[in-house]
Amino acid sequence: MSPTPVTDLTAVDYAVMALYFAAVLGVGWILRRVMRTSTDFFLSGRSLPAWITGIAFISANLGAQEVIGMGASGAKYGIATSHFYWVGAIPAMVFVGLFMMPFYYGSRARSVPEYLRLRFDEKTRTLNAVSFAFMTIFSSGVSMYAMGKLFNLLLGWSFDVSIMVSAVIVLSYVLLGGLTSAIYNEVLQFFLIVFGFIPLVWLGLSSIGGWEGLTARLAEISSARGLAPDAYTSAWSNLGSASQNPVGVEWFGLVMGLGFVLSFGYWCTDFLVVQRAMAADSMTAARRTPLIAALPKMLFPFLVILPGMIAVAFTGTNAGAGQGLVPAKLTAAGAPLLDAAGHVVLDYDLATPMMLVHLFPSGMLGLGLTALLASFMSGMAGNVTAFNTVWTYDIYQSHIRRGASDAHYLTMGRIATVGGILLSVAAAYLASAFNNIMDLLQLVFAFVNAPLFATFALGMFWRRTTGHGAFTGLLSGTVAAAIHHGLTLPAGASPGVKGGFLGLAHTYPSELAQTFWTAIIAWSTCFVVTIVVSMATRPRPADELRGLVYSLTPRPADEGLSWIQRPWVLGVVVLALTAALNFVFY
Amino acid sequence: MSGSTALDVRWPIGGLFTALGLLLAGYGLGTPGNQGQYTSVNINLWWGLIMLLFGLLVLLGAWRSRRNLHGGLSAASVEGRATEGREHRLGLEHEE
Repeated sequence: MSPTPVTDLTAVDYAVMALYFAAVLGVGWILRRVMRTSTDFFLSGRSLPAWITGIAFISANLGAQEVIGMGASGAKYGIATSHFYWVGAIPAMVFVGLFMMPFYYGSRARSVPEYLRLRFDEKTRTLNAVSFAFMTIFSSGVSMYAMGKLFNLLLGWSFDVSIMVSAVIVLSYVLLGGLTSAIYNEVLQFFLIVFGFIPLVWLGLSSIGGWEGLTARLAEISSARGLAPDAYTSAWSNLGSASQNPVGVEWFGLVMGLGFVLSFGYWCTDFLVVQRAMAADSMTAARRTPLIAALPKMLFPFLVILPGMIAVAFTGTNAGAGQGLVPAKLTAAGAPLLDAAGHVVLDYDLATPMMLVHLFPSGMLGLGLTALLASFMSGMAGNVTAFNTVWTYDIYQSHIRRGASDAHYLTMGRIATVGGILLSVAAAYLASAFNNIMDLLQLVFAFVNAPLFATFALGMFWRRTTGHGAFTGLLSGTVAAAIHHGLTLPAGASPGVKGGFLGLAHTYPSELAQTFWTAIIAWSTCFVVTIVVSMATRPRPADELRGLVYSLTPRPADEGLSWIQRPWVLGVVVLALTAALNFVFY
Repeated sequence: MSGSTALDVRWPIGGLFTALGLLLAGYGLGTPGNQGQYTSVNINLWWGLIMLLFGLLVLLGAWRSRRNLHGGLSAASVEGRATEGREHRLGLEHEE
């Protein structure tokens, strides 16, 4: 690909990376002796304290999409990107901790699909398990592909070598130490990412005159694009109508689509994150897991979004046809890519990486790039550990081989780990060969995911919900999402993967706006269809649903805990702090 | 039930950050002019020292509570047992 790398590393940078690799492999090596049962391997023997599972809860999600993607969105949309945290993730994390964890943990299900089996039936579980298994493989493949491409561009490393090295390291430590090893390394990776990015933000801000300087510079840029001067630096004040803000969405679509449907759908039902809480050593620890995770999570916008905003605002550098430190996307011939209106298309995914290589001297550069590597690896390990569990318990044990010994399933878990990594590598190469196939797959996953929260909410809080209702609701939600997507387009896009393949009924100002409304429609369809079909089918008797449905489950008692340890108190504190952040950046 | 007794996660975290801190601080000390073009602070030295301090504090925590399961949070085991007991009484827990 690119013949001249952006920067070179020195011995000290490689030494930083080597120390990190030694640490993650060492953790796997020490833990190898204690993986005796499948519960040890898949659920860490349900033995971890809340602070560890809490950090792993955010770290498993802190993959490439988060670190690179949030920096890219920061560069593209400004501080409004923080809605992914302050409207989206945090309220959903409080909800899953307070209201849903009692059913996940209390039912003793070993996975989210298994909860669906207990609450509904085998077909609902299998639908969820199969789509989830595919999704984990492909997201791990996409992030491997992104990593290989990035390190090739920045450092001139070979794409194949980057992929193989990271795959072998993740494989080794997951194979040796199972979920415990993945979780321990996620905690380690979390601290590495925090320590790698704090100095980046500090250096970036101090070199452009602090928050004041950033605001002034971004005001120039947004005025030049015909938006209000504070369009990039205030999160809410321009959300009155879709045309006034860079996101291209108004407050209702944002709060319902992103906040309610997409974020609750992800944080409350995705086994990748829920698995971390299920590894906790008690019900209280499981409930506290997402709440503890929410505390650092609400500060993450400063760590991952700000670098992107600073990159755009950076002056005094020569990024060619780009803006600040963000380079232009290049055509195959090497010329800057122009959109339909003749503006240069920026390669926003490079915003954060460019900050690292331009601001850090050698030494710190090694630390920053290691933090980036750590985020790729924790994301990959998160996907692989969720995949091997769902494959072994929800697909293999329930459809291929029932009633085998625990040792058999432990072996199968190890085989699934190898298989999962091999499939991820294959997906990474598929992505490098056919970029559109990956776009298409991610679109299908978005359709599958959007309605999920309606199914779980009804299943947990309305005892009349039936298995047939849940299954048909999920399917119709997915179909509705596909139809809506097929009939709409974001402004400036042509029909195809971006939508409009069934005709054109509506044009949205941006891709995000289209995504949010697709989610809202999928959720509503699933919600209504599930209710209608449930009313027409026979419900399960109440005593089969004990511990699975809100009204038939005793409330977890908090007596004996000091007030500060109670999940309710923690939840209220988290929400109050989040509201304060929204207010400060209004 | 064995995963917990094997290793306090604070040992590898403390160890890694202590080593990284020593490496970066040492490098910064040896190359005083190398801080990039955007700051006059010897960032390798100072950030290395901060990481070293963090690493040592984490190691200290692990060392002080080396007889507990996961260290420091002795509540993790005591409170964990109490909760398990409560769940058992409330029938929230299915026997395995």
